[in-house]
Amino acid sequence: MAEATPILSVQDLVMHYTTRKGDVSAVDGVSFDLENGKSLGLVGESGCGKTSIAFSLMKLLPDNAKIKGGSIYVGGTDILQLSHDELLKFRWQRIAMVFQAAMNALNPVYTVGDQIIEALDLHWGDLSREQSRERIGQLFEMVGLDPKLMDRYPHEFSGGMRQRAVIAMALSCNPDIIIADEPTTALDVIVQDRILRELKKIQEKLGMSMIYISHDIAVIAEVSDRIGVMYAGRMAELADGVDIFEHPLHPYTYALMRAFPSIKGEKHELVTLPGEPPDLLFPPPGCRFHPRCPRATDVCKQEQPPFADNGRGHFVACWHPMEANHE
Amino acid sequence: MSNNNDKPLLRVQGLKKYFPVGGGFLRQARSFIHAVDDLEFDIPMGGSLGLVGESGCGKTTTGKLLVRLHEPTDGQIFIQNEQGELEDIAHRKGESMKTFRRRVQMIFQDPYESLNPRRTIYDTVAEPLVVQGIGTIVEREERVAALLERVGLTPATSFMFRFPHELSGGQRQRVAIARALIIDPVFIAADEPTSMLDVSIRTGVMNLMMELAGEMGVSYLYITHDLAVARYMCERIAVMYLGKMVERASTEELLANPLHPYTRALISAVPVPDPRISRQAIDIKGGVSAPIDPPPICRFFARCPLGDDFCENNPHPPMEDKGGGHYVACYKV
Amino acid sequence: MNMTVQTSSVDTAPPLWQMRLKLALKNFKSGWAIFKENPIGIIGLVLIVFFALLAALHPILMATAWEPAVYDPITGYDFEILIHPSPPTWIPQPDNPMWEFSFRHVLGTDPLGRDVLSQLMFSTRSEFLLGVGAALVTVLIATTIGAVAAYYGGLVDMIFMRIADVVYMLPFIALLIVLSSLFDFELIHLALVYGVLAGFGGTTIVIKSQALTIKVKAYIEAARIAGGNDLHIIFTHLVPNLLPLSFLYMMFTVTGAIFSEAVLSFFGLLDIRMSWGLMIQTAQAAGYLLNSWKYWYLMFPSGVAITLLCAAFYLVGRALDEVVNPRLRKR
Repeated sequence: MAEATPILSVQDLVMHYTTRKGDVSAVDGVSFDLENGKSLGLVGESGCGKTSIAFSLMKLLPDNAKIKGGSIYVGGTDILQLSHDELLKFRWQRIAMVFQAAMNALNPVYTVGDQIIEALDLHWGDLSREQSRERIGQLFEMVGLDPKLMDRYPHEFSGGMRQRAVIAMALSCNPDIIIADEPTTALDVIVQDRILRELKKIQEKLGMSMIYISHDIAVIAEVSDRIGVMYAGRMAELADGVDIFEHPLHPYTYALMRAFPSIKGEKHELVTLPGEPPDLLFPPPGCRFHPRCPRATDVCKQEQPPFADNGRGHFVACWHPMEANHE
Repeated sequence: MSNNNDKPLLRVQGLKKYFPVGGGFLRQARSFIHAVDDLEFDIPMGGSLGLVGESGCGKTTTGKLLVRLHEPTDGQIFIQNEQGELEDIAHRKGESMKTFRRRVQMIFQDPYESLNPRRTIYDTVAEPLVVQGIGTIVEREERVAALLERVGLTPATSFMFRFPHELSGGQRQRVAIARALIIDPVFIAADEPTSMLDVSIRTGVMNLMMELAGEMGVSYLYITHDLAVARYMCERIAVMYLGKMVERASTEELLANPLHPYTRALISAVPVPDPRISRQAIDIKGGVSAPIDPPPICRFFARCPLGDDFCENNPHPPMEDKGGGHYVACYKV
Repeated sequence: MNMTVQTSSVDTAPPLWQMRLKLALKNFKSGWAIFKENPIGIIGLVLIVFFALLAALHPILMATAWEPAVYDPITGYDFEILIHPSPPTWIPQPDNPMWEFSFRHVLGTDPLGRDVLSQLMFSTRSEFLLGVGAALVTVLIATTIGAVAAYYGGLVDMIFMRIADVVYMLPFIALLIVLSSLFDFELIHLALVYGVLAGFGGTTIVIKSQALTIKVKAYIEAARIAGGNDLHIIFTHLVPNLLPLSFLYMMFTVTGAIFSEAVLSFFGLLDIRMSWGLMIQTAQAAGYLLNSWKYWYLMFPSGVAITLLCAAFYLVGRALDEVVNPRLRKR
């Protein structure tokens, strides 16, 4: 599959949070590639490590988080080796992030335009005020906002407009990669649908690569070329979108798909997984999914399954993957 | 069970709730948010209705009106009493209100806020029994334990004296379900009870709710923003827009054959968890605004792709039966 | 309608009260685990225990080692020392040929020939009673009013909050001085007056704002749907969630009460037989206050005691704040 060099390559990333009760192993040996101009969707439940990966990629880690190992190559450079100053240039210009909860990503005491100018100044240096405003006007039009709105304050924006402004901010420095962390979670479906379509359009127009992060498999299914399913800090399965829906190999992926109601197709009984995701202070040995897995055997309890390619770019970490024609 | 199938369990007529804006003590409010405006619907005995709409459409307010957390500005809420007769409880107060409280319960959205952090699970679940003075201490304890086991918190004795913070979100929501069912209500308003839970936990809670409602013969109103969840949980679905009900039909009919332009847009915007299915999105212009002193014309007019002079010059369209109990409030369909 | 659920085996469980006792203990333990990690709180607690020991030791010493005629904090007089006030007996006195090393008066004697250490220890108990008494009154009033005002809102809220504003603006000490000069003020009266003033004033405002955040929680609505009346909701849901904060403000009230006692006693406005403030006042009245370098033992012990005990309660309050407010905790 990998003919071209991927724009982003994450290898064996390990990240821990230190808490008063001990270390939480939030990300444990995650690897994936992102090809230029493509989109990758990371899906999983809360606490599965998907947001921690996003913060690691941006190197915007909370004080108590620490990257313990692995490498993150962006266009050939390992960003984990960069100095603080190099990182400042790197962030936003190569990788930008659209934050979760657009409410808090904007400072309420500055106009939306001024906040984007701040980001512009940081990276483009000496732009005159007119040039900056012109650029913001372009960005606003690109995300579907009226350029006249740039002098308004965040509280005058609706939730959808705020999310668009945050997207404009992420676009301001022409990044190669955009990470969208739950970009539409707090929004109503109609607005969500519009924003997702616009993000897709912008991505195609600018030829960017995207990483979408969401708990909603339906959102991920709509926007991603490749889908990675995460569970308890590890990547369970990674494959092309259609492939993963047609032949899910990991029992967790299978369960996740059967647990989502849909308004299309036959109405089917939703399957419930027993138990709850593990406490990552004390992750279970072996495969982290084994306590809830209907296919678990002794080997699952003792040894961690390798994250292996089945030959067609379909990676899975499971000792007993589902048969390709299980349905 | 005193069953009377001719009558609905719950009947709502002309239900209105206006909230004053900007008023205060000794100061008359100038304008009103028409949060719920002239609703009319029935819920049959043992039936379920999904109330769907975007945030701010008044669905939560409707739920709170039905359990009388709010007093309606106008309109009637009829509910069958123990003798099977319809009683209007819209403006009940005092002791007769307390009796009515045994018949309806509510399940809230946020399982982290709906349980008092300083009370044990036992205290929380037994509260309705204690307040209503039902049973002795031993009886209450047995009843709580039995119900906790039924909602999947086993062994009950190990859960009864824990505090909410020791439970996961899914377990908390099970406690909330137990609290709602402990006094054998006939009707439950469930306000997005699973929207804050993770997928693998959510289905368990949804299935449990349906099972228990069936077993105990409880009707429910399921408030959600998610059409897919409403489809899974409910026999009928009603769509709300800015305080008005715009369409109401049986679930499959509504999804297969939506008539109101808003319902159509809403359905077309729901993402499908399968990349093999592509959908045709219908876009509607503009966004939702708060219904503060809205003009008397159709609420959806400003965003409607079908709206014309007739819509602009006539009052909000009434709900009309288009056959087979498919009600819609639109002049153009 | 019948209960559709089957009864299960609860008889294996211990009785309710026993479970509750265990829970309370568990709660206390987890709170203590957080508290003890904070050196500030431990310092405060050690100081409080130290003063409590002082207070407890006094009657024991009076009954055993100390002769009442010499050591009584109010009526005692040491005839063996010619000039009062006299410095601590363990400090060499070059210009006094009679001096010999002893621990007879560890902190010296006051102008009236009484043992300073005995006075200090004797007063400790009343300082505690005053502080805790005032704090209890404050918390009782502030919690009730805060909860009621937040729950009902509207007119009730407005009346109580305007009262709180007025009381909050009053200059406490000046008011206490006026009151104590008008009426015969004993310690218990001071505790009551201070408690009421603090209770109606600032503490109420803080507790009410906390109550407002609790009032909107869904469990309050759930209680209402269950059929609970206002009293039930206020006392089983609002107040228990306010108590941790109330307890915290109790600590701060103790500090304030002890401090105001010292001030009033210093002006001689309190009808009290012995207190730390009164010890300073005695020295002041006899004209020694302007010569503190030489007569340090008249001012220092009580001054330090007031400072330390006030600080102790404040420090414990700060540490409790971390137990009560998880946001202040370090991860």
